Amino acid sequence: MARWSHRTLSIASWGFALLIAGVGALAATVTTTDPLQILIAVTALVVASMVGVAASNSGNRFTTGLAVAAAVPFVLGTGDDVDLAACIATYGLGEAIVWALRHSRGEDNRELLPTMVRRFVGYATYATVYTAFRVGPFAELSGDWADLLPFALALVAWIAVEVILRALLVLGKRELSRTYLARALLHDLNVFLGLAMTGALFGELWPSLKWWALPIALLPYSFAHLAFKRFQQTKATYKQTIRALARIPEVSGLGIDGHADRTTELASAVAKEIGLGPVQVEDVEYAGLMHDIGRVSLNEPQILRMGYSDNDIARWSSEIIAESPYLSRVADHVRHQYEPYRKPGEQTDPDVSVVSRIIKVAAAYDWQVHQDHLSPLQALENLHAGAAYEYDPEVVASLRRLLEARGVLTPVHA
Amino acid sequence: MRGWFGRLRPTVQRRLKIAVPYFLMGLGSLVVSALVSGPPNWGIWAPLAALFVLLEFFAVEVNDRMLQSASVMVAMTAGVILAMEPGSDAMFGMALMGALALFTPADFKERRWFQPLANFGQIVTAGAVAGFILDVNLEGIESSTGSLPLVLLVSAAAAFAYTTVQTLLVRHAVKTVFGRDNLEPWSQMPILFTGQVAMGLLGGLIGAAYLVADRNVILVFIVGVYAIGHMSLYAFSQLRESHIGSIRGFVKTLEAKDMYTRGHTERVAVFAQMIGEELGFTGTQLETVRWSALIHDLGKLAVPTELIRKRGRLDDSEYAEMKTHAHLVEEILAEVDFLQPMVEIASGHHSNFDGSGYGGRGHTDGHPPRLEACIVAVADAFDAMTSARSYRMALSQQYALAELRRHSGGQFHPEVVDAFERALNKTGRRWGAPHVNDEEMARRLAEEPELTLRG
Repeated sequence: MARWSHRTLSIASWGFALLIAGVGALAATVTTTDPLQILIAVTALVVASMVGVAASNSGNRFTTGLAVAAAVPFVLGTGDDVDLAACIATYGLGEAIVWALRHSRGEDNRELLPTMVRRFVGYATYATVYTAFRVGPFAELSGDWADLLPFALALVAWIAVEVILRALLVLGKRELSRTYLARALLHDLNVFLGLAMTGALFGELWPSLKWWALPIALLPYSFAHLAFKRFQQTKATYKQTIRALARIPEVSGLGIDGHADRTTELASAVAKEIGLGPVQVEDVEYAGLMHDIGRVSLNEPQILRMGYSDNDIARWSSEIIAESPYLSRVADHVRHQYEPYRKPGEQTDPDVSVVSRIIKVAAAYDWQVHQDHLSPLQALENLHAGAAYEYDPEVVASLRRLLEARGVLTPVHA
Repeated sequence: MRGWFGRLRPTVQRRLKIAVPYFLMGLGSLVVSALVSGPPNWGIWAPLAALFVLLEFFAVEVNDRMLQSASVMVAMTAGVILAMEPGSDAMFGMALMGALALFTPADFKERRWFQPLANFGQIVTAGAVAGFILDVNLEGIESSTGSLPLVLLVSAAAAFAYTTVQTLLVRHAVKTVFGRDNLEPWSQMPILFTGQVAMGLLGGLIGAAYLVADRNVILVFIVGVYAIGHMSLYAFSQLRESHIGSIRGFVKTLEAKDMYTRGHTERVAVFAQMIGEELGFTGTQLETVRWSALIHDLGKLAVPTELIRKRGRLDDSEYAEMKTHAHLVEEILAEVDFLQPMVEIASGHHSNFDGSGYGGRGHTDGHPPRLEACIVAVADAFDAMTSARSYRMALSQQYALAELRRHSGGQFHPEVVDAFERALNKTGRRWGAPHVNDEEMARRLAEEPELTLRG
């Protein structure tokens, strides 16, 4: 799937858009709901999907379209009758328009197609499960709770579809493992649930409050949006600061230029490739940036006189970052970064975390390529040779896959 | 009475001075609200009180001295419902809710007595005030969409009152107990305040919506909304101060290289803040000065330790080397967008008021440096004089001030020197050597340590 050509992708993208537009139009002819209502719902879905982007902790992008989609089965239809056809009509037509708008903005089909498939299938699953239970087994339940149980079940089904599709549809993201993508969604489940709940609240209030339901649903969303946006900004600034600090030993001539940056880039790519979750990937990033910060101590005259080992640098680095509140959580990873991945006679060394092992491999690779001027293949071969004891073979194998995908491995001419 | 009170440690005395009146005020509010208002509808009150306590329990740290939670939403939902339901009042219910939310996990862990007592006072009082406003305005109002504009208005007023009472009381307590040496406890205040009022408003609106819709299932979704409120606050609080923490970590590393400069940066930051406040700086401007002070020596991280620690004067080539290294670090830090103005200020702290001296980044020779740079220069010079160096003992505050005044108008900005003197007098604290000495004597003392014994 990952090797689809642009042409195939483009055709598939157009094909799916036309398909859901057709399904939507067909459903619109069947439904008994007032066409004006459907029109309003479609407009709301399109506007919310294009305007409101809800940022999340780990960089997943959810739009407020999600909240509108969650509200649709509640709002369309009358009283106890849920109008599934009207829901499908809204999703099909709405998503086709969203696709057309995004397409005309020149968004990449490798992003666009999976997003469209995921959203439509997810929404449709949600509405179908909700309807099935609302008119089926729970119809006899007393008024209030007859809404809640179908909603809960539909939400679970929606999340399951979302996780599965995210893991399956990895077009053009060859460096990301399916596990990483699925874990990234689960990490952001709070945002997802928050949006869906907001939509359902609107739907529940709609019959009695009409448009008053809108501010009540919009306010919590805007709090969350502002808070997360701020969080993202702070985080970006923070990373920038840490990056700058990481370069201090390099500009002082105490390390090789750009080592921290390149190691971090490589290490976090490896971490995503072997399927670590977003939290650990972030640990890898911070640990990578800070792994050699202890080199600032290298201008101490006594240290230069007495000599030092890689382990000393790791220790100094971890001592420095242990003083910083947010970074201190990676201090242990940095502390163990130069240690072999296993103890003699044992499978692994439990003290050396997977983060440390990744940093060790990435740093060694970068050092060999940029300081010792080996070719990428030679450097990788050296790592393979050390994989019996020094380097974690799984991490080295992942690095090989990554370098192959990037096309930097050129054969050595003997 | 005075006797036992006087024997207590000053920190305990300051805490008691807040805790006792706050607790009594809380108790008073509770009694008054019980007398003035009728009982709440307990069936609605109980689940909401449980939610309120839960959110208070999971309050998040929003700055060094303050926790905040999304509980204002619950309080306002409960308030509006209780005030509007026939045969039920809000004032006592809201005050009682606050009385239950005494503790946070940290109080148990650290066995604190002061925070729970003070919190009892402020939460109960805030609840009673807001409840009173709701009762007076919403009593007997029919719950329908037609009354929603009124509810919106009254909720806004009550949420504003609730947050204001809380903020003022907490602020007063923190100022009394922890003094003004705290750096930046209040910089986020306006945005946090607005957020709390908006959350309270939403809470009130939800309460009215629940009554209008008249369906219990809404309660479940309301819990979802509370969860979103909590999540937002939590996201907001994460990473708070993280840059400052990291920079501080690096400053500590830098200072660890040289025992004479240990604590220097933090003190310079405190002095710079004092001067800034005296000159009427607030908000961002004050923060910029403090940040500049914190990073003013970071360039030294790249300077070989033997140069920093050298006794006596640096020769020209050594001086040039030091400048180059420091400059490289400044260049890197200036790449960080938010640090850029601070780097320029910090870098200018070596240039003199009259335009002479070596200027760093953002400084052109012959022009006076920015006021902020002058502040850092005075703070830096004062701390350098009043703390010991490898080549001399610490000087007295008196001598250091006289020295600042002597170079006022030349090396130092006269207004800044004046402001610093006023600020120092206000605090009443003294820095530097206890006895009067001058530069020469301090040097002699450092060279012949046995002289100090005669002092």
